[in-house]
Amino acid sequence: MKLSIDHVTSFSYDTEVTHSIQYLRLTPPELAGQKILHWQLEAPGSIHKTMDAYGNILHVCTVDQPHRGITIRASGTAEISDTEVPETHNRVPPDVFLRTTPLTEMSDAMREFARGFSPDTGNTAHTPGREQLIELMTALLTRIPYRPGITHVQSSATEAFSQGFGVCQDHSHIFIACCRWLGIPARYVSGYLHAGDDQHIASHAWVEAWVENAWYSFDVSNGLATNSHHLKLAHGVDYLDASPVRGVRWGGGKENMRAYALVDQVDRRQSAEQAQQQ
Amino acid sequence: MLSRTASNIYWMARNLERAENITRLLDVTHNMALMPNSKGGRQELLAPLTITGRLDQFHERHQQVSADALMDFFLFDELNEGSIYSCIQAARGNAHSVRDNLSSEAWESINTTWLELRHRRQKGISHQGVKGLLEWVKQRSHEFRGAAYGTMLHNNAFHFMRLGTFIERADNTARILRVKLEVMTSQRDNNQAIDFYQWNALLQSLGAYEAYHYSYTGGLSARNVTELLTLSAELPRSLRYCVGAIMNLLSAIEGNQGLAAKRLCAELHARLEYGQVEFILDFGLQNYLNDLLRRIHTIGDEIHRSYWEGA
Amino acid sequence: MTKIQIPGPEVFDEMLHGDGARAHYQAYLDWLQKTPDASLEQKRLEADTLFRRFGITFNVYGEEEGTERLIPFDLIPRAIPHSEWVQLELGLRQRVTALNRFLHDIYHDQDILRAGIIPAEQVLTNQQFQVAMMGVDLPGETYAHITGVDLIRASDGEYYVLEDNLRTPSGVSYMLENRKMMMRLFPELFLAQSVAPVEHYPNLLLDTLQCASEADSPCVVVLTPGRYNSAFFEHAFLAQQMGVPLVEGADLFVRNSCVYMRTTTGPRQVHVIYRRIDDAFLDPLAFNPDSMLGVPGLLSAYRDGNVVLANALGTGVADDKSIYPYVPDMIRFYLDETPILNNVPTWLCRKEDDLAYVLENLQQLVVKEVHGAGGYGMLIGPKASRGEIEHFRQLLKQNPSNYIAQPTLCLSTCPTMVEEGIAPRHIDLRPFVLTGREIRMVPGGLTRVALREGSLVVNSSQGGGTKDTWVLEGAPC
Repeated sequence: MKLSIDHVTSFSYDTEVTHSIQYLRLTPPELAGQKILHWQLEAPGSIHKTMDAYGNILHVCTVDQPHRGITIRASGTAEISDTEVPETHNRVPPDVFLRTTPLTEMSDAMREFARGFSPDTGNTAHTPGREQLIELMTALLTRIPYRPGITHVQSSATEAFSQGFGVCQDHSHIFIACCRWLGIPARYVSGYLHAGDDQHIASHAWVEAWVENAWYSFDVSNGLATNSHHLKLAHGVDYLDASPVRGVRWGGGKENMRAYALVDQVDRRQSAEQAQQQ
Repeated sequence: MLSRTASNIYWMARNLERAENITRLLDVTHNMALMPNSKGGRQELLAPLTITGRLDQFHERHQQVSADALMDFFLFDELNEGSIYSCIQAARGNAHSVRDNLSSEAWESINTTWLELRHRRQKGISHQGVKGLLEWVKQRSHEFRGAAYGTMLHNNAFHFMRLGTFIERADNTARILRVKLEVMTSQRDNNQAIDFYQWNALLQSLGAYEAYHYSYTGGLSARNVTELLTLSAELPRSLRYCVGAIMNLLSAIEGNQGLAAKRLCAELHARLEYGQVEFILDFGLQNYLNDLLRRIHTIGDEIHRSYWEGA
Repeated sequence: MTKIQIPGPEVFDEMLHGDGARAHYQAYLDWLQKTPDASLEQKRLEADTLFRRFGITFNVYGEEEGTERLIPFDLIPRAIPHSEWVQLELGLRQRVTALNRFLHDIYHDQDILRAGIIPAEQVLTNQQFQVAMMGVDLPGETYAHITGVDLIRASDGEYYVLEDNLRTPSGVSYMLENRKMMMRLFPELFLAQSVAPVEHYPNLLLDTLQCASEADSPCVVVLTPGRYNSAFFEHAFLAQQMGVPLVEGADLFVRNSCVYMRTTTGPRQVHVIYRRIDDAFLDPLAFNPDSMLGVPGLLSAYRDGNVVLANALGTGVADDKSIYPYVPDMIRFYLDETPILNNVPTWLCRKEDDLAYVLENLQQLVVKEVHGAGGYGMLIGPKASRGEIEHFRQLLKQNPSNYIAQPTLCLSTCPTMVEEGIAPRHIDLRPFVLTGREIRMVPGGLTRVALREGSLVVNSSQGGGTKDTWVLEGAPC
């Protein structure tokens, strides 16, 4: 499937910002399951492109001139595979994704919840397989239904779990925490989702877990054990590691952020024409 | 040099100079307060408050303006940013964070002053002890200056330190002149005795009493006092001297920064260098001083902008 | 003369052996016995006044901001015979070399994990292991440019490594100031004996830092959290002694993947940062997002190789107490050598058998948090109350992998001036090892002393003091 993406993030500030710097993970990598046909990143100030330890494409954007706002736009087209092609190449060992971070800690309630999905309680030599993780995902969505507005961007897995509702970020954190507790490396993925309807706020987060020697996708919020509608931007141990935009500024007072991401399926005929031209 | 370091050294010097200035002012006030009211004693008590713009703050904590309350407020009151205690604490804090840029003797001097001041504050001070404390602060200030002049490299750090001293000093001289002259011109009843004591007090609070008598023969006159304190090229607390020092320091500081400050300073200096006291008096001393204070503040702001915000 | 309390036979005393002095201390003891009480007391007061005037202080966390305290300084030096130091130095070189090799390895090919010498999970999930360092090539493959190794001497007369400090070890300024003070107070002692000099440490440090960068005439800075930090004096002291700027996070900024400092003449590029800020606070865009102590963007510049951090990011994994037991294995694995310095036997409570043993023998053991430092979060079994032991038992059961345990080693003592006169007090030793093109160190290090009678805690935050440390050249063995 061929997707076109237009993702705009704007910050505006009450007072002047003298200096600001952002880490941007807004450029999708080439993967076996996704081919980037065209991509463009527009941001103010000076931009330096590099790569982080996980292999994500990282742009460091610095604005030195006084400013009252920043607009960052990522746009392009990508071809994604209709069937999942899990990644098997590892830049860092999968066991790194067994680490606990403040956002992915387990609470007693979460342990209680996850315990049932361990194939052989008490014997850590056996870890669950993909099927059991799919069950875990389904159970999690039932237990913590999708509902925006309850949690916020800094909420941890334990907080979201105790509140009983969450968004994709919370679902991912909880799922990751459970996987790691069960001995399965799991990583946070940020990216875009094509939801089928034409225009949709589609900046999204899901999980990849290391089972059967490959990274399989688990989109908890949509109950999907595949990434057939997903375009991946970056992954990391948690949201803070993989977030598309992370910045620091000097001055500015209160911040207002507005973001939208339009993900459209490019017309099939059009893509066929393009294929012929190439 | 590091912008933050330059800023800390500059403010260290300003805070120290401020402590010394308030000390001189209190010393004079202390003397005047011993005089009967008819000689202007009450007016003198108010002077440190009006000069430093802290009258309202003072009244939040003290009902009456008395010599004791005033000393309380200006010696050791840590809530008063303008007290000797607060100024030296701030100066020592500035010095502490850039101590690697001071010579060890300069640092030890200011650190010792702070430790001993704290000790004196804990011990408390009697009415009789005030004079001694004020003398001590002045001596410590001289000692620090001596240690800094004699042991620090005369490089950027040193220039920024002196820049702080002279900006603060120019500001102080102008403020004292403005307030005192207002007081004196408001009571034009030709009381020779009051005039004498007040002119005297003014000169003493700027350490210029001896200099006056060295420079002018005859009694005290408004014209001569004004001339000495604004236009003298030799008196280290005159406005011309301070502005000249600022101008030279700015050009000694390495780099092409601070063009606006340099230009404004040269302009102001030319006015003072080629100024005449008759013109000033005709123009109105009050107006003249207001304009001058405004200019000094602008120069201070420009220093800020170009050396520690510009990078 | 002052009465010198003779230590009991169960501990090793550095100076006294039976009722006489050890050979290398004979000259000093003779002098001490000839020195009147009043004169020593006078010198002690003088030292206090001078330290206070110099502002050689440290700030204590949890106390009112700006509370500056003196670290008590003891006038009686700790002396080490030259021959003993030679052995220690060999051992330190070996150990620090292996630790640096280990750090390079775990952030690259991970041979030691593949070989099964250290369980991979224990390294990879360690909070001090920095994923961001994976695949980053550092100049000279040096991670710990500055290492402080804590050594103790036990009752058997042998030295043991208690812990390695590879993050931001502090205390070297006290080593230098203590020496300056002793030379000022007792010049005659230095004329009579040949005490190996330490004063050139800042030169060695600067050289080490400059060599850490591949830039021509690199710009070196010291990065401090600011003047309220407990070790601020040391940060300022080292910057001044090296003649380099002392910067705070806000003085630095990143542009086009390079680090600059804000100066009065505009931005100036920085090549080497001797940072005295912990990993988690270095870059709010990569680590703790709430920290304003660090420099946003620093990590990207660092990973791109445009700035050197000393010590490197992620060195903490090598001095973690759960990794400590493996250091002798590292020496064998990387260097194919026999470890020269002893490790203290250690039980890892994450292992079931070890935990069972520890729970049964809490009264005899010292239990420490794996990430703890500064003498906090530990249990000294023989000195603990029943309540404290039970409290730790619960902690151990709840989170065993957070703890290790070691036998209670009796630290050696050294005669020390106390209120009642001169009495034995427990001490340790922290030598500082610099790694650049070669490994260098000054003879000796910082001797810390537990001033409370019987106490084994030497940390300055908990009532410890310091002594000058003499390596006596040409002293008899």
